[in-house]
Amino acid sequence: MSSLADYFETDWAAMTATDWVGTILTVVIFVLMVVAYVQVFRPKNRDKLEARKHIPFEDDHEDRGENDGRP
Amino acid sequence: MEATADYTAERKYDFDVVRWFTIMAVVYLVVGAGVGVYIASELAWPFLNFDNPYISFGRLRPVHTNAVIFAFGGCTLMGTAFYTVQRTCGVSLWSNRLAWFTFWGWNAIIALAVLTLPLGFTQSKEYAELEWPIDILIAVVWLSFTFNFIMTIANRKTSHIYVSNWFFLGMMVMIVYLHVVNSLAIPVGLMKSYSLFSGVQDAMIQWWWGHNAVGFYLTAGFLGIMYYFVPKQANRPIYSYRLSVIHFWALMFGYVWLGAHHLQYTALPDWTGSLGAAVSLAMIIPSWGGAVNGMMTLSGAWDKLRTDYVMRFLIIALAFYAMSTFEGPVMSLKTVNALSHYTDWTIGHVHSGALGWVAGISIGAIYHLMTRLWHTEMWSEKLVNVHFWTATIGTVIYVVAMWVSGIMQGLMWRAYDEYGTLAYTFVESVAAMHPYYAMRAVGGGIFLLGAIIMLFNVLMTVWKSASAGSLREARGTPAVAAA
Repeated sequence: MSSLADYFETDWAAMTATDWVGTILTVVIFVLMVVAYVQVFRPKNRDKLEARKHIPFEDDHEDRGENDGRP
Repeated sequence: MEATADYTAERKYDFDVVRWFTIMAVVYLVVGAGVGVYIASELAWPFLNFDNPYISFGRLRPVHTNAVIFAFGGCTLMGTAFYTVQRTCGVSLWSNRLAWFTFWGWNAIIALAVLTLPLGFTQSKEYAELEWPIDILIAVVWLSFTFNFIMTIANRKTSHIYVSNWFFLGMMVMIVYLHVVNSLAIPVGLMKSYSLFSGVQDAMIQWWWGHNAVGFYLTAGFLGIMYYFVPKQANRPIYSYRLSVIHFWALMFGYVWLGAHHLQYTALPDWTGSLGAAVSLAMIIPSWGGAVNGMMTLSGAWDKLRTDYVMRFLIIALAFYAMSTFEGPVMSLKTVNALSHYTDWTIGHVHSGALGWVAGISIGAIYHLMTRLWHTEMWSEKLVNVHFWTATIGTVIYVVAMWVSGIMQGLMWRAYDEYGTLAYTFVESVAAMHPYYAMRAVGGGIFLLGAIIMLFNVLMTVWKSASAGSLREARGTPAVAAA
């Protein structure tokens, strides 16, 4: 490859329907992953998400009346 | 107090089917590992084939892979998924009858595999050897498992679906898709069919299935186990729930791309293999995020590893998970792949994942389940410790033997002399591998010994529970139980 531009050169006219479906899916998935990262690591959502980590201890908690696994 | 809690759960949930899946998983671990040790020995000492086609390496190898992946792995996944979904959703199974159908159906499939594979009935597809009627049965039974799981979640009493159920569900949905597409074939007889795909497309479909069987069945499913059983055994919540969410979505979106890295330097378009390798490298990030998340759950309580043998299994499994998910992407790189492909390095890599990660996390989960489901302590804690060391030492010997053998093979195959001709014949490379094949059989034998010890300990625990009437008492009235 002589340059980075050559590496990324695409013959858009030669793209088939399958190529377009694949390309669009890839871009959509990439965008969704970015959205997931932003949502999950947003400080505002921290407590809401982290509260769910205690679910495995909830049935013990109900049965025993203890605070198993809770801070 | 512990007993009271378990007794309440015993009456609230459907645990009988989980108990049977648990026992059968241990039985199949012994059978699968036993066949594995035998075929490893056949490679080291070929007279063990006894000129008998039914026990030759070619026919027993798929029996081994099917027994460990689908029999041991499948029973572990189904048992733990049915257990986890009930306990995290606060409801019993949507249909206990359907769960029993799943149990008997899955075991019938295993029996059919044990019968047909030694007889030579095979589609010759890696990890999908079974012929078309059995493939249809797999789809039906797997859908019954999936449907029951989904409906149990739909009936849940909790507002949120705990992350372990996400992983189980991701596995279930993807395996339906992968299994159906990979198994598309034209039957020409009761036990003979031809793949709908041919040439390079067939190769790509096979490895799209092959690697995703690893990614979704052997990784996502067992991560579902990890996200429930590590916190429960440690008695501490998972280190970061946010990390588990990212782990899940990155795994779901990323894994499906990787299959092409199995076909480097083949007729597959070059860019496809490069893409597979690039995404493989990217997958190190979520995989290590997940491994660290599991291990850091013990943060502040590392001393548990000194006394809790079950915890040791779970944590060493995460260490192997981290190691395998680093090694795999490295092997997918074309430069490394040029050396590693078609060699025993691949077998070493697979077994560091299979014995270290999959078996390790399963064994830890099964020991955890034994005490909860039979309402008694293990018959022998010491034997659990002995099992831990035999499993770990056996795995390390096996993996090291295959690493050395594989790298040596690769180097011998591509060594040239000063005239540009091959420095070694193929037979010379086979002869050089012999000590490592013997070492592999020994490593596998030590792992098998641990599995036999586990089966003995598990059966004695069931006997202990039956003798003391622990399970009968747990099924009794709360007043009696509390007293």
